[in-house]
Amino acid sequence: MKAQERTIISNYDLKKPGTRLMYYLMNLLVVIMMCCMVYPILISLLNGLKANTEVNSFPPTFFPKEWHFENYIKAWNYIDLPMYFKNTMMIFVGNMVVTVIVLGLAAYALSKMQVPLKSAIYYYFLMTLFIPATTYMIPNFINLKDLGLMGSFAAIWLPAGANAFFLLLLKTFMDGIHVEIFESARIDGASEIRGFFQIAFPLSIPIFATLSIFVFATAWNDWFWPSFILSQENKPLSAAIRDFVLNARRLDLNIRFAILTIVMIPPILIFLFFQKFILRGLYLGGVKG
Amino acid sequence: MEQTTAVPISKTKPQTQRPGRYKRYVWGFIFILPALVIFTLFLWLPIFKGVLNSFYDVDFVKGNTFIGFDNYKTVFADRDVMTSVRNTLYYMGLALAIGFWVPILFALAISEMRRFQGFARVAAYLPYVVPFVVLYGVWRWLYDPVGPINAVLKSIGLSQINFMVDRAWSMASIVIMETWQSFGSAMLIYLAAILAVPRDWYEAAEIDGAGIWHRIRYITLPAIRNQIMLLLMLQLIATSQGFQTQYAMLDGGPNNATLTYALLIVKYAFVRQDYGVASALGVLMFFALSILAIVQYRINNRGGVKS
Repeated sequence: MKAQERTIISNYDLKKPGTRLMYYLMNLLVVIMMCCMVYPILISLLNGLKANTEVNSFPPTFFPKEWHFENYIKAWNYIDLPMYFKNTMMIFVGNMVVTVIVLGLAAYALSKMQVPLKSAIYYYFLMTLFIPATTYMIPNFINLKDLGLMGSFAAIWLPAGANAFFLLLLKTFMDGIHVEIFESARIDGASEIRGFFQIAFPLSIPIFATLSIFVFATAWNDWFWPSFILSQENKPLSAAIRDFVLNARRLDLNIRFAILTIVMIPPILIFLFFQKFILRGLYLGGVKG
Repeated sequence: MEQTTAVPISKTKPQTQRPGRYKRYVWGFIFILPALVIFTLFLWLPIFKGVLNSFYDVDFVKGNTFIGFDNYKTVFADRDVMTSVRNTLYYMGLALAIGFWVPILFALAISEMRRFQGFARVAAYLPYVVPFVVLYGVWRWLYDPVGPINAVLKSIGLSQINFMVDRAWSMASIVIMETWQSFGSAMLIYLAAILAVPRDWYEAAEIDGAGIWHRIRYITLPAIRNQIMLLLMLQLIATSQGFQTQYAMLDGGPNNATLTYALLIVKYAFVRQDYGVASALGVLMFFALSILAIVQYRINNRGGVKS
């Protein structure tokens, strides 16, 4: 963000003591907000380093009195984290492949190709946006059972292709690519498949990257649906955390915090590294809220 | 969604080349076919099955039997349904009262900051990337009777609050936690809109003698009106379906105080194994929510979010 010449409050306003005080109070409010945002994240990191008696003491301390780094080793070995991490990545990669192939091809066809009954098909897809997912959550579950997909990754991967919101974003983006590129590729004898994979897909990398953020967030976050759909050994990390950490009765609080910290660090690091990029992508998908 | 206006040129061209057109029809259809199959199998099929199942007694072993409107009768006879509707409305109302204005306030405050704007933005968004399951674990401890929030309350001389167990507090506790987590993303949308307001408008208003409150009231807020309406609708749609936090944190308790409508659907299906009634509840919910969806569609079409 480049320096702005002024905001709602001008430099002249700031010379008045009342306004100045208000301005400082407002900044203080933002600082308090920032502390509230960071505190729960830091405290779980630090609680993971304390002795169990210290975590349970009242009033709670911020910095550990003695540092127990071995808690994180215990936490790492408490459940098979690498396996669940692998499952989460399987879901992410599979969902991404389905998104590119199924939704990418469909968006390309809707945007740049001749399709019979194009607008009817487009509305067939978009209509699903108006039906809230919760209302057919249970039939969806029964449907997956009927199709015999229950327990396998396919039960997550294939429905990932039924996302009208992503389709809308992809088509809108592809509408902005000039059609002449594809026309000239066709004249030069490129097949339609090459037209998609060698021209449309590379040119749409920005929107696919944005979608990959959403898909990753879903894969990492979603615990409810996978815990009902996937079998025990296919469960993603978040579902496993809920089953074995949140609902565990005999698990020391410090180890619990250590596990939670391990799980939240990767997404936070990814966010901090790709921050600019992610926040820009967010405006694009702002509709999702 | 905006679309570029450069597209129509392509429409006139291909009509003249007859042989290529047929071939292109085939390829276009092949490209769209996987999406058609998947949308049909995983969206439209369950949607219609849901309507159908609501008239059946669903049994995975013996097969379904048609029972007419019995499922709907069960729904209207169940007192939990009314409780859950009331809880859902309460939840939606609380989320508006506690959470809706927060992102607007902080977007205004952060847009005014002369320095460290980037830090504030990142900090506000940070909780949004924390996985839900971690959130539940951490906040259970924060809300604990011997947790840090109660320690602060005690140190300033207030009495202890049982955030989770007290019926009067349980829903509010969930809303506070969710606001903490998600206001950052709404704030970024508001912030982008506020920063897009031309600076000269403020300049002109100031020369005309408008105070700061008047500038906010008559320039900034009208300028982000579309975003406010859009996010209001999105929040209502999201909260009307909310159940995951209630389920994970309190399992609908204490004494059904956080039993939302969607959570009741889940409980009918996975606890009482009554998939027919769960489907009927879903169908009823659809009719209630379609009103919201229509309103949102109209706001969207007026060009809510500029990307």
